[in-house]
Amino acid sequence: MLELTPRPQFTVVTPPKLLQEGYLVTFTKAWPSTMTNISGGKEPRTFRVESTNQVPYPRGYIIPTGDFRDIDLSNGSGTFQESMYPNRDQSLFEVTLGLRAGNYLVHFLMPAERYISELEASGMVPLTTDADLVYLGARKPEDSPPEDTRIKMYLVKNMEPLILRVFCLPGVDYEKCVLDFTFNKCDLREIPEPTAEQVLKSKILRYVTELKYA
Amino acid sequence: MPSLGVTANTTAQAIAAERLDRVHRPVSMTVDNDGGAADQVVRVQDIFTPAVTDGVAGPVETTVDRLRTTVPQGDQVTFNEADLKGIKCLGSLNVIGDSVDTDCHITVGYETV
Repeated sequence: MLELTPRPQFTVVTPPKLLQEGYLVTFTKAWPSTMTNISGGKEPRTFRVESTNQVPYPRGYIIPTGDFRDIDLSNGSGTFQESMYPNRDQSLFEVTLGLRAGNYLVHFLMPAERYISELEASGMVPLTTDADLVYLGARKPEDSPPEDTRIKMYLVKNMEPLILRVFCLPGVDYEKCVLDFTFNKCDLREIPEPTAEQVLKSKILRYVTELKYA
Repeated sequence: MPSLGVTANTTAQAIAAERLDRVHRPVSMTVDNDGGAADQVVRVQDIFTPAVTDGVAGPVETTVDRLRTTVPQGDQVTFNEADLKGIKCLGSLNVIGDSVDTDCHITVGYETV
C-alpha cells in the first residue's frame, strides 16, 4: 500500500560513451607511418583530448531494392564523398553511427573494395549479389539504433577512405536509409613521453589492419 | 499531428514535403465527395528522386502510388490509422484525383517519423 524506496547504498556510474576532455588516446604502431600527425612508425603515440565538440549530421538515401549506395566518408568532391574527415593534424573525429529502422544492411570497406568484416576461408567475403553472402559481416539497423548507438568510427586526417556500403534488401520497392552521424570532434595534444600508467588508461585506437588480423 | 486539406485535382497536391532524415506516414484520410460532380479515384502518391547508386548513375524523379481508392459521388469515406497502417512515403506525401473538382475535399493527417 505504501512504499518508501530505500536510499541506495551505492551508485552505479555509467562511463560516458564519447571521449571527453582530459581523456587519453593511443594510436598503435600499426597506423601507417605516412600519417605523421598521429603515427610514430614503430612506436605507439599517446595524445590527450584537450577539448571536444559534438556535431550531429543525419544523412538519408533512397535506394532501390537489390541495389547499393557507397558512402565515402573521406574528403573530396566525388559523387560518393561526404567530406567527413578532419582537415587538421591535431583533430580526431570520434563518429557514432545510428541506423534508423528500415529494410537495409550496411557493410564497411577500407580501402575501397576491401571489406573489413570477412571470414578466413576462400570466398567468404561479403557479396551484395549473393543471397547468403550479402549478410556476411553486415550490420542491420537494430544493431545500432540512433537512441543506443553501438557503431563507432575514428577518423583522422589523411586516413584511407572509409566506405559504408548501404544495401537495400529485397521485399520493398525502395527504402529510405537514414544514417545518423554524430561527430565528437576532439582536439588532441601529444604527450611526448607517456608513463606506463597513462598508456594503460588511454583508449587504444587500432588501425583497420589489426581488425582484420591481416 | 499535422494535417492538410486540398481539393481533388489531376495534378498531385502536396501534403508534406520531403524530409532528408524522415519518412511520412499518413494516419488519417477523409475524402468528402458529398458535393462532388462525379465518382473520384484518389491516390496517395510518394514522390522522390532516389540516390545515385551502383545500379543507377542518373536517377530521375519517381512517383509511387501507395494507396488507391474510389469514392462514389455523394459519398464520404474516412480511413483511420489502422486502415493506413504500413503506408510510408519516403519522399513527399501527395494526393491526386482523377478529375478536377473543387467540391471534392481531401484531408490527410500524417506523422513524420
